[in-house]
Amino acid sequence: MRRWSVAALFLLPGSLLIVLFFLLPVVLTLVLSATNLSTTTFSHPSWVGWGNYQELLQARFTPLILKNTLKYVILTLFFNVGMGLLLALITAFLPVRLGDAFRALWLLPRITASVVYVLIWQGLAAVAPYGLLSDLTGNSQNWIQQSPWAVVVLANGVIGASFGMLLFTSAIRAIPSDLLHAAAVDGATTWQSIYRVVLPLLRWPILFVSAYQTLSLLTSFEYILLLTNGGPGFYSTEVWSLSAYHQAFSNYFGNAQFGLGSAMAAVLVVIGVVVSLIYLRVFNFKELLGEPKVEVN
Amino acid sequence: MKGRVVLAILIFLGLAQAQEVITLQAWTIGPEEASRTRATNLVAAAEELNKALVAEKAPYRVKVETSFETTNWDNYHRRLLLAFQSNKAPDIVQSAHVDVGTYADGGYLAPLDNYINEYAQFKNVIPTLWNAVTYKGKRWGIPQDTEARPLYFNKTLLAKLGWSQAQIDALPQQIRDGKFTWQDLIKVGQEAVQKGVVKPGYAYWHRPVNGADFFEYYYACGGSLQDSQNGKLVFSKAASLCAYQLLADLVKANLTSKNLLGMSWDNWHNAVSSGEVLFASAGTWTWAQWATQYYPKDHGGYDYLWKNFGFALQPAIKPGGKPVTLSQPQAYMIWSGSKHADLAARLLAMVTQASFDEKHALQSAHLPVLRTTYALPEIKSNEFLQDVAYLLDFTTFQPMSPGWGQYGDSFFRGISAVESGQLSPQDAVGFVAQELSQKLKGDLEVQ
Repeated sequence: MRRWSVAALFLLPGSLLIVLFFLLPVVLTLVLSATNLSTTTFSHPSWVGWGNYQELLQARFTPLILKNTLKYVILTLFFNVGMGLLLALITAFLPVRLGDAFRALWLLPRITASVVYVLIWQGLAAVAPYGLLSDLTGNSQNWIQQSPWAVVVLANGVIGASFGMLLFTSAIRAIPSDLLHAAAVDGATTWQSIYRVVLPLLRWPILFVSAYQTLSLLTSFEYILLLTNGGPGFYSTEVWSLSAYHQAFSNYFGNAQFGLGSAMAAVLVVIGVVVSLIYLRVFNFKELLGEPKVEVN
Repeated sequence: MKGRVVLAILIFLGLAQAQEVITLQAWTIGPEEASRTRATNLVAAAEELNKALVAEKAPYRVKVETSFETTNWDNYHRRLLLAFQSNKAPDIVQSAHVDVGTYADGGYLAPLDNYINEYAQFKNVIPTLWNAVTYKGKRWGIPQDTEARPLYFNKTLLAKLGWSQAQIDALPQQIRDGKFTWQDLIKVGQEAVQKGVVKPGYAYWHRPVNGADFFEYYYACGGSLQDSQNGKLVFSKAASLCAYQLLADLVKANLTSKNLLGMSWDNWHNAVSSGEVLFASAGTWTWAQWATQYYPKDHGGYDYLWKNFGFALQPAIKPGGKPVTLSQPQAYMIWSGSKHADLAARLLAMVTQASFDEKHALQSAHLPVLRTTYALPEIKSNEFLQDVAYLLDFTTFQPMSPGWGQYGDSFFRGISAVESGQLSPQDAVGFVAQELSQKLKGDLEVQ
C-alpha cells in the first residue's frame, strides 16, 4: 500500500499536467467538434453530431488539403533529417571549436522569432528592387508566390534541421573512437567509416528524430501561415492544421467557425495517434529502447 | 492657520476622491496611420463631455482609454472576437459596417435606436449611412466615416505615353460617362508596357491582399450580392465569370503581375506612389496615406500627389456600361456587455460633431458622415474631398450577413487561383459556387 502511495505521489504532478494539457483539450475539442459553434452562435450553440465531419468529407478541397499535408510532412521531414545528418557529420569531424561555432550559426533561425524569420524570407523573395533574390538573379519575381512549396519546405527545413543536427552530433560524439580507429586500421575510407560504422549506430537517433519531427510537422503551420497563408490560389499550400486554424480563428470579414475547426483538429489527433502507432510498430521501438549495443564509458 | 490649510487640503482631497472617474475602453483601427483620429477624436470628445459634466455638477467624470490597431483587419477581428467571447470587450468598438450583421447576430452589440433618438447630434448624419448600420430592423452602430475607392492614374506616365494634358484631364469624365472602359484601359496598359513606360506587370494594380475592392469588378459586371427581398446572399455565376475573366485578361496582357497577390502593402504603396505603376485601384484614404506614410512623404507630400496622380471611378466593363466604386463606412458600436452603455452613447453623441468629423476627413481623406460637416469652409475648400464627392453617386456596398465572411474569402480564393494560373476563370467560378453552396447552404442563391 505504502509503495503504491509513494508511486502515486511521484506520478501525480506529471499525470495532472497530462490530464490538464493533453487529455482535457482533446476531450474539449471532441465536444466542440460536435457543435455548430461560431461567432454568431457563440451564446447559443447547438449539437450537430457528426455534421461537421460530414461537411469535411464532402468538401471538395479535403483531398487536396490532405495531399498537401502529406507532401509538406514528407518533403520537410526528408530535408530536416537529411540536412541535420549532413550538418552533424560535417561538423563532428571538424575541430571542436569550429564545429561548435558552425552549429551555433545554424541555431540562429530557431532562436529568431517566427515573424522576424519570415520577414527575412520575404526580404529575400520579394520582387526587385525590394528582394535580394530578384536583385541577384536579375529575374524579378515574388519567389514565394512563384515557388511556394520550395520556400515552405526550405523555410521549415532550415529551422528543423538544427534539431536533428544537435542530437546526431551528440550521438556521433558518443561513438567510441576505438571503432573508428579500428575501421581505419582495416583500411576503411572516411566514407566507408561513415556508411558502415557511424550511420548504423545512429539508427536510433534517426528514427527518434523522424518520429518526433513527423508529429510536430503535422501540427505546425505558423511558417506557412506567415509565408503563403495557404495560397496562392485555392489551398495550394494549405495544410490540415492551417486549415483548422483558418476555420476557427481567421476570417477577413469576421464569422469564425469553431465547431468545424475543432472537427479538423480532432481528425488531426486521430492521424497523429495512427502515425505514432505505425512508428512504434514498424521501427520496433521496444528493441531500440533495450540494452545499448555500444558501451559508453 | 496651518491647521486650517491642512484641513482644507484634506477636504479637497476627500472631495476629489469622492468624484468617481468612469473609464471607457475604446478599440479602433486604421490600419493606416492617417486614420488615428478614430481614436484621438474620442479622447477629445471625452474632454468636452467632462466640461458638460462639470456644468451639470455630475458626481462623475469620464476617461477614455483607446487602442488604435495599425497591423491589419484580420488581427483586429480576431482580437475583437476573443474579447467578445471572454467577456472582456471594450465599451466602444469601431469596425466596418459589414461587421454589424455578424456581431449583432452573435449578441455582442447593443442596439442603439433609443440613444439615436435621444441625442440631437445624430440627426445630422447623412440618412443613407444609417442603412449601412441597420440590421434586422435595428441600428447597431453610429457612422464614423465613409469613403469611396477610386482608380488612380499616373499623369506623368500617361504624358510619357504621349497623352496631352487635355486628354489626361478628361479621363475621369470619360470613365464617368462609360466611354473609357476596362477594354480601353487594357489597350493603354499594353501600350505602356510595349513602349517601356512601365515594366511588364506594372500597368494596373489592385490591392495585394483580400478585401472589399474585388467586388467592384463583380458589381461592374452587373452582379448583385444580396437578394433585397429575403436577405439571402447571391452568387451570380455570370458576373463572377466576367470579373474573373477581366482579372485573367489583365494578367495575360501583362498589365498585372501574377505575383501581385502576396506582395506586402508597404512595397505596394511605395511602388505605386513613386510612379512605377500606371493605374491602381485603391481608396480615397490612400491619398492621405501616401502623403504621410510613403514615398511622397519626402517628395513634396500632397503637392507631389496632385502633380503626378489623378483619380476616377472604376471603369465600366463595356462602352456605355456603368462605372462603379465601393464604400465601406466605418461605425462606432457599443458592446452589449458594457456596464456604461449610456455614457458610451453620450460620448458617441459628443464625437458625432462636425468639428471632429471634419478633422478626421481632412487628416485621413475619408469622407465626412455629417451633413453639417460638408458646409464647413475647410471642407468646402478641400480640393480632394470635393473632387471625390461625386464618386458616392456611383457607390456600392457589401451586404450585411453572417455568411459574408465565408463568401468574401471564397470569392478571393477564386481570384487568387485565376491570377496565379491555377484555374481558368470558368473552373474558378465552378469551384467558388460549389464551395459557397456547401458552406452557406440555404443562405445562398446561386444565379
